[in-house]
Amino acid sequence: MKLSIKSMAVIVVGAFSLGIAGANLLGFWQTTSSKQPVAIKEGEFAGLPNPADIRGSYTWADVANAFGFDVKLILRAFGASDETEKVNALEAIYGAAGLPAGMEIGTDSVRLFVSLLTGLPHIAEDSTVLPVSAIAVLRESGKAEAALIDAAAAKAYDPAKAATSAVPAAPGSPTSSIAPAQPASTTITAVKTESATDHVATVGALTGKTTFQELKDWGLGEVDIKSVTGGKIGPDASIVKDWMAANGLTFSELKVRLQELLDAKK
Amino acid sequence: MTTKSATLKKKGARNIRHIVQAAFFIIVAVTTTASVLSEKGISIPFIPDASLHAVCPLGGVVSFWQLLNFGTLVKKVHESSVVLAVLGLLLALLFGPVICGWVCPFGTFQEWLGKLGRKLFGKKYNNFVPRKLDKALRYLRYLVFAWVSYMTVISGKLIFQDYDPYYALFNFWTGEVAVAGFVALGAVIVLSLFVERPFCKYACPYGAVQGVFNLLRIFGIRRNAPTCISCKACSKACPMNIDVSTSKVVRDHQCISCLECTSDAACPIPATVDMIALPGSVKDSYKKPAAAKSSAAKE
Repeated sequence: MKLSIKSMAVIVVGAFSLGIAGANLLGFWQTTSSKQPVAIKEGEFAGLPNPADIRGSYTWADVANAFGFDVKLILRAFGASDETEKVNALEAIYGAAGLPAGMEIGTDSVRLFVSLLTGLPHIAEDSTVLPVSAIAVLRESGKAEAALIDAAAAKAYDPAKAATSAVPAAPGSPTSSIAPAQPASTTITAVKTESATDHVATVGALTGKTTFQELKDWGLGEVDIKSVTGGKIGPDASIVKDWMAANGLTFSELKVRLQELLDAKK
Repeated sequence: MTTKSATLKKKGARNIRHIVQAAFFIIVAVTTTASVLSEKGISIPFIPDASLHAVCPLGGVVSFWQLLNFGTLVKKVHESSVVLAVLGLLLALLFGPVICGWVCPFGTFQEWLGKLGRKLFGKKYNNFVPRKLDKALRYLRYLVFAWVSYMTVISGKLIFQDYDPYYALFNFWTGEVAVAGFVALGAVIVLSLFVERPFCKYACPYGAVQGVFNLLRIFGIRRNAPTCISCKACSKACPMNIDVSTSKVVRDHQCISCLECTSDAACPIPATVDMIALPGSVKDSYKKPAAAKSSAAKE
């Protein structure tokens, strides 16, 4: 059987047309995300949306809808005005506004804010901070423990204090309705400006930067780790938190159990 | 059939592939542009929008591990990528890397630049890189694929996006392309003026996956030696520099199933170089010219 150029053209175009149409009929042809975070699988919050699954492609309205709070709260927290704008604009906006090195206000800040607002668990990256305006909103409406909000406040970013050393926005930086939020409250107790972001592991203390190799070095065997992660384990060099996030596991839940195992080894 | 009409027929046949390539390029350009505009609140009527990640099968390939183990996809990858990846693998098993030769918009883009290179350098075009070096460099794409896969598995993110010239080409105006992506795109543009499809040959991770199927494919390129006049038109036409004229069956890992070498296109003798169903036992009978000469002398 010989295939000519004409027949190959028909095969290629036909295969793609039929393949995509078939996938569409079966409901597999999804080109966008559902804007609905995955649910927390275990523990007292099982079944509730997981803040860790908030994506940069979500708009402010998507986040508010998914977690059931008034969108005005999150707009006020981050100094935004357009609820249809995506949350991933934050990094560019706050970066251009002169955020100190080692501090990040981005999608993970939104996750942290939602966590503190709703009381749902989330372990933020070490470099993640909130603007002081978000702390003001959390003081009014946050359901998380006051101590957690205090901890976020201790390292919150205050644009007014940073203004003297701020770098002007670069020409051509993305336009946005978000303005670096000005302080909305004077209740913030401290502004932490140092930028120590390098990972220095404290033996036996599981953090968002801990790798599988470190867990093993601290005495956990593969069997121990798998007993917590449901029979799976990541490569030695991978960060436990990232690996769990990538694999649909909730770090904030499983961290507690891994830490218990580590403590038991001491 | 006169020589003139035969030439016109071959040109027409070649154009069929070029039209299919252009159509896929336009579809991808329009849908990805619509996607970016849609994110900015501008919707284009009657145009479906999909991000480049949603219509790139590589995302589906690098998500397989995560999908099989955990039932989730790598961030930014959607179900449509997996559909395209499966479709691409089935097509490759049957016909080899047809996605590379007929569908991939970035391959098409490089071919368009190559036309300019051919005008600038004539016969020298696509023959600048010394053979030995070229042969070794062509294995680089497997390293790229291994790195991309490993990094994606351990991070759960599309690590390649920041270095991907294909992503840079279709998103250069969005402000989402990393500097490394622009550098890679610039390098590919410049190299395409000297080498045909440089990214496909040396660096494309998806091309690496597809290329492996050249060893297994059911339909392949076969040269019928008894009717061959050894004019080497097939080898000269091959964008991937495969020496078709000394092969019985093309099993080269770089073949992109473009059919440019066949009797439909470059080969002047009918039924001499064709895409046919290959019996499983047929291997590439490539012989180095020296070896072929000595065996002929013995006979």
